[in-house]
Amino acid sequence: MIRAIGAGCAHQLRMMRGTPDWFLALFTTPLLTAVFLTIFQASARQDLTTYAVLAPALMALWTMSLQTAGELISQERENGSLEALLAAPAPFAAVLFGRIGAVTLVSLVAFVEAWLVGWLLTGAPLPVPHPVLFVLTVAATTWSMTGWAGVMACVFVLARSARTFQNSLSYPFFVLGGVLVPVTLLPDWLSWPARAVFLSWSADLLRDSLDAAPVVMAGGRLLIVAALGAAGYVLSHALLTRTLRRVRTTGRLAHA
Amino acid sequence: MTAYAIELQSLRRTFDVRGGAQRLALDRVDLSLPTSGVHGLLGPNGAGKTTICKIIATVLLPTSGRARVLGHDVVRETATVRSLLGIVFGGERGLYERLTAMENLQFWCAMHGMRAGPGRRRAQDLLERLGLGSRAQHRVETFSRGMKQRLHLARGLVSDPPVLLLDEPTVGMDPVSARDFRTVIADLRAEGRTVLLTTHDMDEAQALCDSVTFIDNGRLLGTGSPAHVRGMLGNSRRIMIDDVDAAAAGDLTGVLDRLPAHVRARLQIRHDPADHTLSIEVPTETHVIAAVMSAVLAAGHTAVSAAPPSLGEVYLTLLGTDAQGARRGMEVG
Amino acid sequence: MYTPVTWTVGWLGRILMQVAFFGLIGLLLQDPEAVRYLFIGQAVMACVVETFMAVASTTWERLSGTLGLLVAAPGALWPVLVGRSVQWLPSGIATSSIALFGLGPAFGVRWHPSTAAIGLCLVVLTALTMYPVALSVAALVLRGPRWRNVASNVSHTLVMLITGVTVPTTFWPDWVQDLALGMPLTHGLAAIRDVQESAAGWDRAGAAAALMVGLGACWLALAAAAFTLFARMGRADGSIDLRD
Ligand SMILES: Nc1ncnc2c1ncn2[C@@H]1O[C@H](COP(=O)(O)OP(=O)(O)O)[C@@H](O)[C@H]1O
Ligand SMILES: [Mg+2]
Repeated sequence: MIRAIGAGCAHQLRMMRGTPDWFLALFTTPLLTAVFLTIFQASARQDLTTYAVLAPALMALWTMSLQTAGELISQERENGSLEALLAAPAPFAAVLFGRIGAVTLVSLVAFVEAWLVGWLLTGAPLPVPHPVLFVLTVAATTWSMTGWAGVMACVFVLARSARTFQNSLSYPFFVLGGVLVPVTLLPDWLSWPARAVFLSWSADLLRDSLDAAPVVMAGGRLLIVAALGAAGYVLSHALLTRTLRRVRTTGRLAHA
Repeated sequence: MTAYAIELQSLRRTFDVRGGAQRLALDRVDLSLPTSGVHGLLGPNGAGKTTICKIIATVLLPTSGRARVLGHDVVRETATVRSLLGIVFGGERGLYERLTAMENLQFWCAMHGMRAGPGRRRAQDLLERLGLGSRAQHRVETFSRGMKQRLHLARGLVSDPPVLLLDEPTVGMDPVSARDFRTVIADLRAEGRTVLLTTHDMDEAQALCDSVTFIDNGRLLGTGSPAHVRGMLGNSRRIMIDDVDAAAAGDLTGVLDRLPAHVRARLQIRHDPADHTLSIEVPTETHVIAAVMSAVLAAGHTAVSAAPPSLGEVYLTLLGTDAQGARRGMEVG
Repeated sequence: MYTPVTWTVGWLGRILMQVAFFGLIGLLLQDPEAVRYLFIGQAVMACVVETFMAVASTTWERLSGTLGLLVAAPGALWPVLVGRSVQWLPSGIATSSIALFGLGPAFGVRWHPSTAAIGLCLVVLTALTMYPVALSVAALVLRGPRWRNVASNVSHTLVMLITGVTVPTTFWPDWVQDLALGMPLTHGLAAIRDVQESAAGWDRAGAAAALMVGLGACWLALAAAAFTLFARMGRADGSIDLRD
């Protein structure tokens, strides 16, 4: 099990080598950081610098996971290797999560990029007053992101037409995930569903961890991020079981 | 434990197709293949060969009936079956083109539960064995078709499986690669493995297989050793004469027409203008063969051979015509 | 590639959400003026984003292996490649217009029929004149098709950064401002803002249009030269039929 996750992880990193498209989000992150930062600087709102630095990093995390999720299973099918993979003794789910996890980990580079651009444009490194909370939140976010990417991987396979909308899933979730504008500022009818998106809890916690003020209920909020992530794993496990059973009974992966 | 490597019992598989109809891909297939040896599964495209392989490989469920690998049921004992099987689905696809040969095999070693170190050694061994040792660090996208197919076979062997499924492994291979490939298969057989080989290449089946099974439209038509299957054609021999152009064929036919009527009546003469060969099918009776041979030799032809009919002819006879007697387009030999 | 339904739900939905995302930044700034500024900028940017799809679609020609045939054909290469990706223009113009005139009022961006007509013309012109900019990037990318998506995204984000889409160009140092003046978008967007805010008329639009057409022609000449150079270099080093 652990070995299969590790093998999936290593395999994914090799597959990404030499393919710039996998790293697209890492190329645009510094530029997006500059876009957001300059908007706040132009309005003389230096107090929002942390917002501008966190948003592109979270966006990269989401985009890269979403992209991987959309591609992985269908790529194996197009490559003609899905059957051999399903017939191998290693659990398919472990391999899948290993691969998604590898991408999610790579996407964390975006946090460093955004932080460096923040330094460059403001002339001072952005302090991290609550480093432990920050690291824990990033870890919990990575965990949850991987789980939900698993859900999306199954959805993209079960309903192939969903892939057409793969790219459309970015900005709606940037709004609902409160990556730049906290969901508390959204109209009521939007902020409630946004609370079901783990990203909105992550984004709030990350912003708080970069703010000198004491953080309220940090533990409980971290738990919520992790729990929403766990829900993702449960759901993706159920969907994956369904997907694989479908493959074996119909001989086909997707609905027509 | 049964003595069979692969055992199929009334195996049926249907597929739903557009418009709610059902397509019958396998129709109550019964087949028992003993351990060790190379077993051929022969049939035209769409016969159901791949469907059988997929069911045995646990990636497709049977609609009804059972399939066992070394006594283990493919539906209920999936994990055990997977550890006993090596699978090679034909063609060039299914490899990771952007990775090196070594990285491909290492990944599959890991998929079979091997640790990194032993996995690397195993991969190296297999690459050497299949003549890819010098290309281990090259990306697969730079490989020729034959090399890819050898790498596929190496992939099927990573777990050192007692049973191997090879689904048209040589399709589209160049003749030299195909010959090398046969040597490898013969080695696997010598190691005591059981190989199920699907193909529509009759020469290949004849050269490699200990048993052959014919399948068409999801039904088994016959099974047995190549000699036994040839026997199903009845007792006949084939006299082949090379270097016969159209004019010579006319002359020879004239010569044969002058044989005694009871001999002439039992001959089937066929001329192939493309190959410049004339084949005469004769009953296995010494005096008839002798009469035909001496007439042919007397007519000045020396490139003459007599042999039992090839598997290709069995194939044509068993499958080559449908109920209406029309020839079907397919590859033979 | 797109059916009417997938275009509406998929592409248009995505772009409208992107425009809304930026509009919401104004909420954070608690400044209705900023909401309008960011909204208009992103709405016009939408057609540029789509125009920059040409960067990727130009290399499809190379990937599909037809480029060698085109180079070998008697005509010049550049007119073919210029025509190759015009399909993005109508879709881009539609997206921007729906955002500006349909979604705009919800963000406090109001139009009169007369200002809307001028605005629409300026959007069309912006798309048309930014297209050759995208083609120039495409000519570079033909040398390394693997980079098509990265190049397309990085270049349009750079354009967005400096041309007054999110912050006024005056925010930047002089040399960046000079660069921005070379982009037709800078002038088109500024004119659209003037028309929307102060009901400036056809004369304001006409001045911008003249500038944009001039710049667009320069970019087109640059793109044509770059395509021609690519064909010549490809013949010299034999890279034309190489697939990446
Ligand atoms: N997933 C599928 N859906 C519908 N029909 C299928 C599917 N897979 C195979 N078939 C049908 O089953 C029959 C047997 O196919 P197959 O086993 O692939 O033949 P072979 O490998 O002998 O060429 C064919 O008629 C084929 O069209
Ligand atoms: Mg087949």
